[in-house]
Amino acid sequence: MSGAARFDIRIPIGGLFLLLGFVLAIYGITTKSDTALYVRSDGIVINLWWGLVMIVFGGVMLYFGRRAKERPLHSPAGEETEIREHVTGLEK
Amino acid sequence: MAHLTNIDYLLMLVYFAVVLGIGWTLRRSTKTSTDFFLSGRSIPSWVAGLAFISANLGAQEVIGMGASGAKYGIATAHFYWIGAIPAMVFVGLFMMPFYYGSRARSVPEYLKLRFDEKTRSLNAITFAVMTIMSSGISMYAMGKLFNLLLGWSFHVSMIVAALIVLAYIFLGGLTSAIYNEVLQFFLIVFGFAPLVFLGLRAAGGWPGLKTKLAEVSVGRGFEAGAMTHAWRYMGDSSQNPIGVEWFGLAMGLGFVLSFGYWCTDFLVVQRAMASENMAAARRTPLIAAIPKVFFPFLVILPGMIALAVDWHSPGAGGSLAIAGGQGIVPPKIDPATGAALLDRAGHIVLDYDLSVPMMLIRFFPAGMLGLGLTALLASFMSGMAGNVTAFNTVWTYDIYQSHIKKGASDEHYLWMGRAATVFGIVLSIAAAYVANSFNNILDLLQLVFAFVNAPLFATFALGMFWKRTTGHAAFIGLLSGTVAAAIHHGISLAAGATPGVKGGYFGAHIIYRSELGQTFWTAIAAWVTCFVITILVSLVTRARPEEELRGLVYSLTPRPSEGDVVWYQRPKVIAVIVLAIALALNIIFF
Repeated sequence: MSGAARFDIRIPIGGLFLLLGFVLAIYGITTKSDTALYVRSDGIVINLWWGLVMIVFGGVMLYFGRRAKERPLHSPAGEETEIREHVTGLEK
Repeated sequence: MAHLTNIDYLLMLVYFAVVLGIGWTLRRSTKTSTDFFLSGRSIPSWVAGLAFISANLGAQEVIGMGASGAKYGIATAHFYWIGAIPAMVFVGLFMMPFYYGSRARSVPEYLKLRFDEKTRSLNAITFAVMTIMSSGISMYAMGKLFNLLLGWSFHVSMIVAALIVLAYIFLGGLTSAIYNEVLQFFLIVFGFAPLVFLGLRAAGGWPGLKTKLAEVSVGRGFEAGAMTHAWRYMGDSSQNPIGVEWFGLAMGLGFVLSFGYWCTDFLVVQRAMASENMAAARRTPLIAAIPKVFFPFLVILPGMIALAVDWHSPGAGGSLAIAGGQGIVPPKIDPATGAALLDRAGHIVLDYDLSVPMMLIRFFPAGMLGLGLTALLASFMSGMAGNVTAFNTVWTYDIYQSHIKKGASDEHYLWMGRAATVFGIVLSIAAAYVANSFNNILDLLQLVFAFVNAPLFATFALGMFWKRTTGHAAFIGLLSGTVAAAIHHGISLAAGATPGVKGGYFGAHIIYRSELGQTFWTAIAAWVTCFVITILVSLVTRARPEEELRGLVYSLTPRPSEGDVVWYQRPKVIAVIVLAIALALNIIFF
């Protein structure tokens, strides 16, 4: 029953989106004038714009994930359910 | 074939690293079998809710719904607006109190508590085999697709994806699967939303798309609006591309199939069972329904847009832009001759399954293409992980613990869960290879599962809401529902199909306009038979004493309180909001 408290899922999501967003945005800045590359997206430098959107989303997730208190590994209600399982012999 | 650049591979690698990192971090908090199979029942409802839809958001959904969008148009949204959404609201409001409240650890275990061992075993075994088959089919589809699009090796891409899924579930169990599903959910949304934006822009917005699809629709022999209206042409099966009339649609798809899947399939219900308390468990499918109601715009629209746009310059699609396609949807190729396949009437058969992949290649430059393909990979992986976690739980609790080794230590079952994860993945890979060499065997098996699943909701509905239902009745009802499905399928055939796997093996006495029409009515036949037989057998067998059924049947269970939570967290409030949105969308796209 012991073990480290579980982390908040918003933290890795935030991290992933920040990382992906930065990679996309930086690539977008360096390729901004490459019109051949952006023929597919009809002239929109989609890498840069979508990279920025992902950075914002990642930042918001990270902010809320870090602000939230660490979740306990076992909640009282879940624990109670588990105890009832033992009592009713469901595991036998 | 599309070529990926380093930037695309970099984005994919970042994703894989984070996915594995989550599994690695969670390994320390996976100490008991409850941690492994039920996440220690401590998942907050928004996380469980997103995992609830993500587990179903496999390849079948992303590729298949886009394909159906190109084939049937906006009417495909019925799979959501009269299918999934009402069913998800129902399972949250009315069924979750019994699943969660009964202390059952799996859906088959609920059947054991409510009915008896044989009903549970029937459900557990068919479910276990089915999850393996569907994860195998999904792997096979992935290997094929990435081979076709990028020239990756079928074997390598399939096995690498399988090993990543194996690693993160082995380490962190259900929590790891759920956490990754939430991550995959956001990745899929962020990978496909710009596709819809760029696609709609190129097609001239919704009005432009409507005009273009009107031509497509007329070319296929329907009224101009048949592909952009969900209900208007549902009066007669000959007037809409789905080939079904409103009653078969509402009853077969909306009631029998959707309720059967969303309310009884452990793959999705497991996510809600992992919630931290009853209120959170009930909220799980309701929270899931909120994004789900808007999913048609994300997964169906790209398929429709694929019909209405062209390659940006002649020859830009390379080897994939084959003459005879429609928009950017290529024709199906006859592997023997290399030419486009023709149907009986001499029309070119389109390869609808390539609609969404073609959209990615058409609209995404290097960079975004990497993100889009990562989203596609994420959808394959979340679907696979959903199947594997459901399999290892049902195997360990409902088959191993109840038939092979009772009363072992918790460590032993935790070990068995990990072992089941490994052999579940190995079996899925084997199934993928079977699919690769004998396509028809898997078609046949999927058909059998459709027969097994169709009557399920009748059994659960009677079990939960009629205390007189007995175990013998449930078992016999399920079997007779399956037989009824097989018989109906055997005497019916879709127009243009040849008897065999497609039905008609007892002679084609009923002809449906489409395979979907046949499927819906097969489900209706199975459900009605199971419902009637279960009632009849219940009346002649001895019911269980009422005190044994407390917490398992509606009339013998105290109503769950809505909880002392703020109004927007109350199940009923969320349910009303979701249903109102679904109704509004039905009217807007009528």
